Formats: sequence, C-alpha cells, structure tokens
Amino acid sequence: MSEQVSGNAQVEDLMRKDYAAGFHSAIESDTLPPGLDEDTVRFISAQKEEPEWMLEWRLKAYRAWREMAEPTWAHVHYPEIDFSSISYYSSPKSMKNRPKSLDEVDPELIATYEKLGIPLHEQAALAGVAVDAVFDSVSVVTTFREKLYEAGVIFCPISEAVHKHPELVKKYLGSVVPQKDNFYAALNSAVFSDGSFVYIPKGVRCPMELSTYFRINELNTGQFERTLIIAEEGSHVSYLEGCTAPMRDENQLHAAVVELVALDDATIKYSTVQNWYPGDKNGKGGIYNFVTKRGIAHKNARISWTQVETGSAVTWKYPSCILKGDNSVGEFYSVALTNNFQQADTGTKMIHLGKNTSSTIIAKGISAGRSNSSYRGLVRMNPGAEGARNFTQCDSLLIGDQCGAHTFPYIENRNSSAVIEHEATTSKVSDDQMFLCQQRGLDAEKAVSMIVNGFCREVFKELPMEFAVEAGKLLEVSLEGSVG
Amino acid sequence: MLEINKLNAQVEDKQILHDLSLNIKAGEVHAIMGPNGSGKSTLGNVLTGRDGYEVLSGDITFNGKNLLDMGIEERAREGMFLAFQYPVEIPGVSNMEFLKAAVDARRKHQGLEELSSFDFMKLARDTSKNVSLDPSFLKRGVNEGFSGGEKKRNEIMQMMLLEPSLCILDETDSGLDIDALQVVASGVNAMRNSERSFIVVTHYQRLLDFIVPDYVHVLAGGKIVKSGDKELARELEAKGYGWLEGEVA
Amino acid sequence: MSAIATPAAEFQKHALTLAAAQSATIAQHNNSPAWMTTLREQGAADFARTPWPGRKTEQWKYTSLQSLQDFVAADWGAALVPAAGHEAVTTGSAVSSALLSFDATRLVFVDGVFDARASDALPSGMTLFSLADDAASKIIADNLGRVAGSVDAARRNLFSMLNNAWTRDGLLVHLPRSVTLEKPLYIAHVSSAAPANTEATVANQRVLVVMEEGSSAQIVEHYIASTPGQAAFVNALTEIQLGNNASLHHTRLNMEDEALSHVGAVHLNLQRDARFHGFTIAEGSRLKRIDYQMNHCGQGAELNLDGVYLARNKQLVDYHTTIEHRVPNGTSKEVFRGIIGDKARAVFNGRIHIHKDAQKTLAELNNRNLLTSNSAEIDTKPELEIYADDVRCAHGATISQLDETALYYLQSRGISPAQARVMLSFGFINELLQGLPHEDIKTALGTHLSALFAADRAFVSDGDVRDAAESA
Repeated sequence: MSEQVSGNAQVEDLMRKDYAAGFHSAIESDTLPPGLDEDTVRFISAQKEEPEWMLEWRLKAYRAWREMAEPTWAHVHYPEIDFSSISYYSSPKSMKNRPKSLDEVDPELIATYEKLGIPLHEQAALAGVAVDAVFDSVSVVTTFREKLYEAGVIFCPISEAVHKHPELVKKYLGSVVPQKDNFYAALNSAVFSDGSFVYIPKGVRCPMELSTYFRINELNTGQFERTLIIAEEGSHVSYLEGCTAPMRDENQLHAAVVELVALDDATIKYSTVQNWYPGDKNGKGGIYNFVTKRGIAHKNARISWTQVETGSAVTWKYPSCILKGDNSVGEFYSVALTNNFQQADTGTKMIHLGKNTSSTIIAKGISAGRSNSSYRGLVRMNPGAEGARNFTQCDSLLIGDQCGAHTFPYIENRNSSAVIEHEATTSKVSDDQMFLCQQRGLDAEKAVSMIVNGFCREVFKELPMEFAVEAGKLLEVSLEGSVG
Repeated sequence: MLEINKLNAQVEDKQILHDLSLNIKAGEVHAIMGPNGSGKSTLGNVLTGRDGYEVLSGDITFNGKNLLDMGIEERAREGMFLAFQYPVEIPGVSNMEFLKAAVDARRKHQGLEELSSFDFMKLARDTSKNVSLDPSFLKRGVNEGFSGGEKKRNEIMQMMLLEPSLCILDETDSGLDIDALQVVASGVNAMRNSERSFIVVTHYQRLLDFIVPDYVHVLAGGKIVKSGDKELARELEAKGYGWLEGEVA
Repeated sequence: MSAIATPAAEFQKHALTLAAAQSATIAQHNNSPAWMTTLREQGAADFARTPWPGRKTEQWKYTSLQSLQDFVAADWGAALVPAAGHEAVTTGSAVSSALLSFDATRLVFVDGVFDARASDALPSGMTLFSLADDAASKIIADNLGRVAGSVDAARRNLFSMLNNAWTRDGLLVHLPRSVTLEKPLYIAHVSSAAPANTEATVANQRVLVVMEEGSSAQIVEHYIASTPGQAAFVNALTEIQLGNNASLHHTRLNMEDEALSHVGAVHLNLQRDARFHGFTIAEGSRLKRIDYQMNHCGQGAELNLDGVYLARNKQLVDYHTTIEHRVPNGTSKEVFRGIIGDKARAVFNGRIHIHKDAQKTLAELNNRNLLTSNSAEIDTKPELEIYADDVRCAHGATISQLDETALYYLQSRGISPAQARVMLSFGFINELLQGLPHEDIKTALGTHLSALFAADRAFVSDGDVRDAAESA
C-alpha cells in the first residue's frame, strides 16, 4: 500500500535546507579587540587615514548613539545584544597595503569568492557586472574600474572615496540617513569600515550592472558597511548586492546603512539577495541583520528596491523612498523567506512629498518551520503630495502550523487628492494545490518549488536577469531535501 | 487496463467504499452514476492516491502493475489522469509553465525526449483552440480567475496534452451550460481510441448523451449495485435512483 | 479653556482623586455591593499603575490625550452627587427630539444615572447594578470585566480601567437560555450640561449584556448630549457575553458634537456558534475614541461589524478594533468607512489576531476612506497577526476619490456635478447604513446624514483640488 506523507509534511521536509555558504576561510586578520568607545572610533578612522572632518562626523554619531536606545517595536525577539563584546573592525592581514591589482590579492580571498560563485577575475566574471567585494570590514577588490572610469562612473570603496572625492562624500554622506536617524544607523555612522561608493555623472547610463558582495568571515565581528550611491540628473544605474557568512553558533551583528540620491530624472535600481547565515535548525547562531536603507528621489526620479531575503536569524530592514520631487516614483518589491527559528520584520516606507508622486509595494512573505515573518510598512502622503498614488499588496504564505505571518501597514494621508490602495492576503500551500500538481505527474519537490516561485513571481521579475536566476536557485536550494 | 478487486476504502475513519470491484479494458468507456454521497468522487480520489483516502483492503492493478504501490505522481506518469470536479487555483504559476513541467515529467517517464519550448508552445496553443480556450489563458496562473467553464476546459486541455491511458472525469459536467458541455464532450470523444479508457463519473444522464458509454454502473452505498449498458442511464434518468434502493440494502 | 498649562497626565491624578472621593461617599451610604467595591479598587489600582500614553504608545500613536487637560481644571464636584432633577433634561425639547422614536423598550440614563421617569419599566432580566438582587449580583460579579481580563496586559484599555474605578451604577441585561427579547432595547445615554454651562461634566456609563445559550436580542445604544457645545467627558463601557448559539444585533450611535469628549469601548466574547452583528457610527469631536475588543472563544461563531466615522472642523475620531480568534472555525467580517474634511483627523486601527489553534478561520477587514480637504488627515492601520496556517485572511484599506465613472453616469442623466458628488459621498456610507436591522433608525440616520451632507461640504468629496493639480 502506498504511504502518502501529507502535503504539509512534504513541504516541511523540503524546507530543511543546507546553508551552502557556511564555510569559514582561514585568512589571517587584524581584528580589533571587542568593545566600543571613542578610541575605537578614532582607531577605525586612523586605520583608514581619514581626514579630520570624517573623524568628527563619526564622533558626532558615536556621541548620539550613546544617548539612544535600541528600538523594541519590531515583531522580533532576541537576547539583548552586548555591544561591548563585539569587535568593530577586522581586516584581512594581506590587505594592510591595499593591493594595486588582483594579482596582489591573497589567493585565499579570491578562492573564497569563487567558492561563493563570485569570480573576481575580470575575464571570468559575469559579463556586464562590476563587483566590489567586501570581506569583513574591508573592500578587497573592485572589478572593471577602468571600463567604468571611461564612462565617467566612479565605483570604488567608500574609504577610497573619502580621500579621492571628499566634496561628494561631504555633501551626500548622511544626507538621506542622518547620523542620528536611529540606533543602528548611528552605530554604523560611528564605526562603518567600508562599503561601496557609486557616482553616476549627469546623463550617463551606467554601462554595466554594479554589484557589491559582502562576506562576514571573522568570529565575533560586526559588519558595518556603508553604501552611498549618487545618480546625477538624467543618469541611470542598476546596483546589486549579495551577502553571506560562515555558519557559527554565535550571533553576529550586521548593521549597514545604504543611502541613495537620485537627482532629477535619474533612476536607481537597487537589488539585494540577502543570504546571511540564518542559524541552524534549532535557532542557534545566525546574523542579526539590522539595516537602514533609504533613498531620496528628486523631480521625475525613480528609486526601485528589490530584495530577496532568505538569510539572517533576525532581520530588521525597511528600504524606503522619500519622494521629494514632483512625479518621482518609488518601488519596493520584496520576498522574505523565513524558516526554522528565523525572524524577519521587514517592509518599506514611502514618504510622498512631491506632486503626482507614485509608489508601488509588492511584499511576499513565506514562513516555514517555527519562523515569523512580518511586513511593516508606512505610506505617508504629505499635504503637498497632490495627486499622489500608492498601491500596496502584501501576501503571506504559511508552510506548516508552527510559523507566523504578520502584516502591520501604517497609512497616513493628509492630501485629499491622494489615492491609496492596500491589500493583504494570507494563505498556505494547500493540499489541493499539491495534489493537482502531483496528479499531473510532478514530484512534491517540483510542485512546492513551482508554487512558491509562482507566489514570488511578481517580485522576481523585477530582479536583473543574473540575480533572478540566483534568487530562483536560492529558493530551489531552500526547497531541496528528501521527499517521503 | 484497470482491475479493481474487492476494494474497501475509508475517509476520516468512515468507510465509503465496500468490496468494490470493477474491470476496465483498453478502449472502454465506463460511466459511474449514483446519488450524492454514494462514493463516486471517492473512487477517483482513491485511484489517484489522494491523501486522506485510505485503502483498507483489496487490490488495484493498473497496466499490470500494483497501483497501490505507487505515489500520486507515479500513477500520473503511468498514464492516469483525473479531471477534477473543482480544479484548484495556483496563483503565479503560469498554465504554460505548469503544463510543460507535467508533459516533460510524463515524457521522461516514457523514455521520450522533452519537447523544445518552441514545439511545446505550438502544441499547447493548438490544443487550447481545440477546447475553445483562448491561448491567452496559457499565460495566466493555473486556473487563476477562470470561470467554472474555463476551469473545466482547462482540465480537458491538460488531458489532451498529457495523453493519458486512463482518464477519470469527476463530475466534469456539473455546473456547465450546454455549450461548454459540448466542448468538453467533443474533446473527450476526439480522444477516444482503442488504447485509451475512460471512467466518467456523473450524477446526470445528460453528459452521457454526448459521451456515449460502453458500460454504466450504479454506485450506491459504496458498492456497485447495478451494471448495464447505456440504456441503464436512460432508465435512471426516467426513474431516479430510488428504485435501486432495495439493492443497496 | 483653562489657562493653566497642566500636563495631560494630571488628568490621571485628578481622575483617581474623584474615584477616591466617590468611594468615600459610597461607603458613607453603605449601599455598595462587595463586588463593586472590589471592581472600583482594582480599577483605580490598574489605572494608577498604567503609564500615561504618549506618542510612542502604539495604541495612542495618532491620538493625543492633551485635550483632557481641560477637565483637570474643571470642577468635578457634580459627579459626586447622585443625579437628581434630570427629568428637566430628558423631557427638555433638545433631548426628546434627539431620542429616536421607534417601537422599542426605552431606557434613559443621564450622566450614567438611570432616569426612571423618562424610561419604560425595566423588562424582566434587566436591572440596575444598584438594585441588583443576589441572583443578579452574582451574574454581574461573574461576568463583569471578563473580556478585559482575557486581553494581553499591554493592550488593556486604559479607560476601561478608569470605568471600573468610577463605577457607581450600570445596567445589566440578562437573557436566560433560549429567551428572545421581543422588542429591541433602546438605551439612551444622555450627557447633561454642567450647571451654568461653565464647567465640564464627567460621566461614567456602563452596560453589561449577558446572553445565555440560544437567546437573541437587538440592542441600540445611543449617546446624546443634552446641549450643543457642552464640554463633557464621557467614559462608556459596554460588555457583552454571548453564550452558545446566542444572537445579538448591537447598534452604537455616537454622534455628539464638537465639545464633548467621549472615550468608549465595547468588549465582546463569542461562545460557540454565537452571532454578533454590530453597527457603529461616530461623528468626530474634541476627542472621540472607541475601542472594540472582540474575542472568538467558542468555535463556529460569526462576527460582523460595520462602522462609519465622519469628522469635520477640527474634530478627531479614532476607532481601534481588535478581533482575537482563539479557536478554530470562526468567521469575522469587518467593514469601516470614513469621510474626513476640513482640519479633522480620523484614525482607524483594525487588528485581527489568529492564534495558533484557530485553524479554518475566515477573517476579512476592509477600510475605505474619503478625504475631502488637504488639511484633513486619515491614519489607518489594518493589522494581521497570524499563527495558524489553514486560514483565509484578507484585509484592505483604501483612500480614494469618488468613482469618476459613477460621477459621469449621474451627470449624463442630468444631475449637476455638485449634486452628483453629494449623492455619491452620501452613498459611500449609506451602503453600510442599509445593513441596519431597524427601519426607523435607518430612516432617522439617513435623514440626519443626508441633511448634514447637503449642508456641509466637509463630507462631500470635491474634485476641484485634484482637477487643479492635473491641469497644473
């Protein structure tokens, strides 16, 4: 007699995935002892040989941070973080004198990225994608710089931009996410180590996709990267970001800040595939991913956030748009998959200031195991936002009866001509859907991956081609496993 | 093709099928009729291996193999097809993608090569026209937002594409107006041949005017209480199921 | 308004002082049952312990209690005196014309005190807290505060605690097993004018409905201010226990004007297969905050709640609703619509919480709003918190304009654009009025509201603003 595992049990089996990026690389590092005070900030600044104004900026942030309290409103639970037990700076030893070319980079580092599927040799790299590889606190290498330089595009580590383009950094750093914006942003502002800097000149369409690949390697290290993208009038850029970390029993903190400035008629498309280590099946270990991402869109500009979040033990992240200029457009497309004991509280803020601004929010949450996934969003129409529009759709998919899916949308409207639509639904992979697929000859694994991918379709189609494939694979990997 | 021998089956601890036996040869069309709650739909679900339908005893042989040893998708790949009474919606999964995956799985099982995307698309478009379904339905999510009639025609289209050896039509006629019914019936009739068998489960005789069965069985109380040819269906239409009640007991 | 700039939290202190003074008076008269003493003491303790809400208190994020400081300066002495001479108020033309006329058992309370002369005789099963016999006392003691008691501490209603602390009297509506209340019960809660109209009055209103298995009833609660423009603070709490298969139509009308501050709550428990059909309507005022706390405690219960809110001038109206599905197979449907104009603000927070065991729940929440002025504000937050996988839940919220196609259609039939806008704006809420079970109330509300819409453009969605923006 045939024994059928129930649809749900099958799905749960499939969700037991292995974390493929969980290896640790044996790379010697200079790591600052744990602890945070003004000297730590000074040390980091000195390591980067920063000018005085940069140090002052950091210290201002640090002093503000000391007065601030950790936010508690998110629908996540984790033990109190001891900020004095974290090391705030770690750099591969071989990076002491930043290599001039890839040939000088520690081969172990290059191997690490190749293992992660990120070839750093330009000839082997994905055609049309320039990569900035950030390892723990330091940018290792940035590919295709010359080619970009010809187009006038600046793509370099932010530590380098502080020296080479101080006028741009001074003008825009903190202009979207001020130092005191929130607890984690303040912390980042004080101790950020590296990250990517992008500048697209007026009227330039960036000739290739730009990409940063973040890797946490060292134990007990926080990663605090800072990304700043400036798109001048009429320019266009698509930027991708990927993240992984080794499997460890301890939780590690990642508190990044991303600022986007889209000047008149510019377009910035920012895509993330976040696959930080999520912790093990029992909820041990994993990354605390507390990230502030925000963009400001001037007249006729467009900012589009697309994120596929499958990693991290706890995610606290709300990529947002300030639609300042008339006719500016903000978009947020998100897939958040949580499994085992993962918790995600993620969403967006769309702040409509200008006339005829419009925003679209498509958020898909998938909860499995004992995880909890929350959508938290704010749509605010200010009195000046004549004719503003928002459309929001939040869908949750539950897999198994131990998980939770939550929706907390805040809608604030102060303009009578604004139109806001918000819809949310919650459903599960139903036994009927599984049965239909299997009756048509598909195995359970294929059936679940097809149903889950179908659920995420609206978001995946927003990703650049290379990432859409990666995201699909990531979900597929998440769904790999034994079928009864 | 299909031999059911003394099948006893239950759903949620309630026995629905009692010592049911049925023998279907290649090329035959068997109609199964019966009042509501007689176990008609249970039979289709047991044959396809749906969760929650538990076989207590008896055996079923399909194309010479023990059906009960096979999982849902194995049975499907062996050529068993159930046209659902209430086809479920799968948002976001396009009909085309779904159909290609199913056809690929079946062809792989048969040792055939996968169809190229181009060939498959052409095939699917042609087939959709055969069931009067606009090819644009192929791009939409599986059954997503389809009307009742469109869902049923989508089922028949899948049947045509998968070319099963045994087709089980579970109350495919319910909720269909006469035009849609004719489309469904002509699709089924076009597929009839000496290799392919059908089990047509229905409450109404009307469908059997269009799909003429070789045999008609009356299912009541979980067992076949009467078998005959297509005339039996007319008799049921005229007299209702009441006159058979004596035979149920 | 008081010239003294007292922090709103002073209200808390002041309210507790009143509670203590009342308790002392009650003790003197020695006529208070033991359960009431306990309730008052517990309420005062809870209220004192609860931190005064500020902008960071999620439940009060959009609604400031700053205006309550007016009442701190006011003399609350009157609230100590058992109401007397209220006949003048209730028989006065302002109130009697406000009372809805329909075939019902009519009970009138003035500032929380029963007005026997203006009321019909109390039908069987109904009694005042102060006149409760032993059996009724037991029912009150067993049921009072039961809903509030089951709510997470963080979400407990601050003003329900205060209502407990201030409880002097109240109405018990008890329906034994299988009893059907023949006539609808019409409860009018009247707030009287303060003496000489110089100071505020404070009133505590309380109703407890206990319906046993298979009973059914229709209850209308109507909140009325005796004088336009009077500054009163009203704290109203209705608790409802619906037994197995019991059925209640509950209508709550809350249309007092500007100056009156009203904080109200409805607490509801639904046992197995119980059915609740609620309708609630509120016009804004200085402060109007209404909380519905509804619990599915038994399987198969059905909950429907329709709500309408209207705010103009500088009014505020705030609805917070919570539905807790604690058991499987429950159904909830909630529809709220609001129109906000001038410099008014409306807040809607609809929360649906599906607990781990509440499989097969069907829950739907829909909130639609029309904003008619750029100085007005609507803050809406439909929340879903779901811990069970086999459920169907959806919520939607929109802030929109009148349907252009419908406007065009009406105009093509010869109706002026202005008139068409009035019709469609009124239609926006009239859809919900049509669900009311009482024809007379439907008519009365319809008349009142259509007059209001015709007279005040605040509730008529105007295309001008957007048209201007489009042509710009």
